[in-house]
Amino acid sequence: MALFIPTFSVIGFLTIYPTIRGFILSFQNYTVFNIRRIRYIGLQNYERVLQSGDFGLILWNTFVWIFFSVLFQMLLGLGLALLMRKPFKGRGIYAGFVFYPWALSGFAIGLIWRWLFDGSFGIINDILIRLGIIERGISFFSDPVLAMVAVITVNIWYGFPFFAIMILAALQGIPQDVYESAWMDGANPINTFFKVTLPFIRPVLINTVLLRVIWVMNYPDIIYAMTRGGPAKATEILSVYMINIVFYENNNFSKASAVGVIIISILMVFTTFTYLVTNTKRMEL
Amino acid sequence: MRKTLLTLVLLCVLFTSILFSNTTLRMIQVFASPERTKIIENIIEKFEALKPGVKIELISPPYETAVSKVNIMMSNEEPLDIVEVSDWLLSGLVSMGVLENLERYITRSEQAKYWVDGVVEAARTVNNTAYIMPNAIYVKTLFYRPDILEKYNILGAPRSMGEMMAICQYITNGRDQYGYSYRGIDPVNFMDLVLCSFFNDIDPACMYKTTSGKIIFEDPRALEGLKFYIELYHKASPKDSISWGFDEQVNAFVSGLTPILFQDPDTTALLNYLLTTGVYKTAPLPVGPGGKVYPTFGFGGWGIPSYSKNKDIAWEFIEFFNLPENAAYFCKEYGALPVDSRIYESDPYFGSAVFDGWAAMFDDPVTYQITAYPIDNELWGEWFRLQGDIQERLLMNRMTPERALQEFTNFWKDAGI
Repeated sequence: MALFIPTFSVIGFLTIYPTIRGFILSFQNYTVFNIRRIRYIGLQNYERVLQSGDFGLILWNTFVWIFFSVLFQMLLGLGLALLMRKPFKGRGIYAGFVFYPWALSGFAIGLIWRWLFDGSFGIINDILIRLGIIERGISFFSDPVLAMVAVITVNIWYGFPFFAIMILAALQGIPQDVYESAWMDGANPINTFFKVTLPFIRPVLINTVLLRVIWVMNYPDIIYAMTRGGPAKATEILSVYMINIVFYENNNFSKASAVGVIIISILMVFTTFTYLVTNTKRMEL
Repeated sequence: MRKTLLTLVLLCVLFTSILFSNTTLRMIQVFASPERTKIIENIIEKFEALKPGVKIELISPPYETAVSKVNIMMSNEEPLDIVEVSDWLLSGLVSMGVLENLERYITRSEQAKYWVDGVVEAARTVNNTAYIMPNAIYVKTLFYRPDILEKYNILGAPRSMGEMMAICQYITNGRDQYGYSYRGIDPVNFMDLVLCSFFNDIDPACMYKTTSGKIIFEDPRALEGLKFYIELYHKASPKDSISWGFDEQVNAFVSGLTPILFQDPDTTALLNYLLTTGVYKTAPLPVGPGGKVYPTFGFGGWGIPSYSKNKDIAWEFIEFFNLPENAAYFCKEYGALPVDSRIYESDPYFGSAVFDGWAAMFDDPVTYQITAYPIDNELWGEWFRLQGDIQERLLMNRMTPERALQEFTNFWKDAGI
């Protein structure tokens, strides 16, 4: 038991304490300007967040952001992993290039892509104009839908290597003789994929999706660097909303903490639901 | 006698060196950039050379998070001896009770005698007490590109808002040429400049009130001004300028995409670096239908935390920083208007054509009437976000100007201005 003490201490200090502190903070009136007059104000912060006219829109944005980001990250990651499964010359170097975005800072990526998507000076518009696809630059950040498309595109580009890494590892663990048996039984590549490959990588896929949903929901970097949640809150997700409260509402850490608790609650419900569903399915198998 | 004097001098030197030995001042700036940091470090180096034993540790947080960083450090009473305080940060820090009252220092200072008009009032913005020693003034003016305008046979800068709209619309082709460098992110001060120019009775002490005490957003002239400002975006500015901050605004101006720009003097340093002399000029802000325009008197300065243990040495550095030669160097390299009137007389740079816009405005304080934001109001920090959000909705036609003005009015009524 004594051997666990260091581990529990580290987890307690780095995870449990900040979570509890944030939870307490969400019931107080903690802003930087009244740091010496902090008191409990009940559910006022939650009321202000939930009654804000934009909360529904922010929740919807969060759902769109997570759903499309994770879906396309998974599909592209899966495709890439399948392509890289068989050894070929220079696979290591190629893999290095493909996985490179994963090693970059999200905020730096956001800033770079912001310029790439720029309506007046961006390279993307320049290429499209030179190719004759468009006549004048598209203002990605002045249109609510295009702005969301832009930030999700960048997030897909950033996140799909992670899926590829995880799925590739799972693919390499599938015994070759299972495939050979399938081929001998006359299975075509599509059947092989759905009857052999997918069931084998399913646990990894589920866990990776779960992890990515949690990370993507808590990942304001790209959006903050590209749009700060604009235009007119069209790309504002919960984690960006939380930052905006701190920066633009007199450093209101308590209200921001209330948003943080809401994020944690949503993720807890989602995680529990996912585990229940996936465990049931496993039992059915 | 000589021996006694010599002994006294030596004792003084010894005493001073003991007093100042191994003193480290911690200083934080809020408008940090690599260039600005270098400028301040150069002045620090000169000070350290004069004061052996005194070291100054400069903290330069990223611009976007600097205000929060200062707020948090000071509220937690983290070690700091000199803090840069912008006008918009001042009232919050004073209300937290963490800024030292500098009256005893400033009243003794020779430098205060040479401050240009408005600086005394700026220093005493909150509670009529000086909590900072201003180091620079920021007043917006009109920047324009004669080379671009001449291509369209337009000579000189627009003198009125109407003329500016006509010019901007005339040269806008919707592809690679627009008129006005619109500000999408944090539009406070850009929207207000245009909107207030439709008035002729703005309160000099509060930009959002008329001299009769009425909130300006309740007045029909505000609606005219707001509609004008929205039209400026739709008819004469790039669509993506809805998401433009300072960098994009200046970039568009430098590239010639938008040859008309409202900005602060710190833009001059960047433009002097990016453009050759004479390619850009400044002119007074265009006046509105009210015959006036109302720039605000922005300022920044150095303050001392009330809990600092090195207040006297910190003050010595602040005075050193504001000596005419150091202040001139800082303002020229960084791009700001000096607070010391002697600099305008002694340094030809501040009398050059680059400063024509400001010179003309300061010469006619009736037409170019300086006014102030209600920065001492508790809800000032939230105003930023509200005005920015509403501007985006207006530009995307998701809100009517009438509704926007109603929201603005409600906000300031609740805030109690």
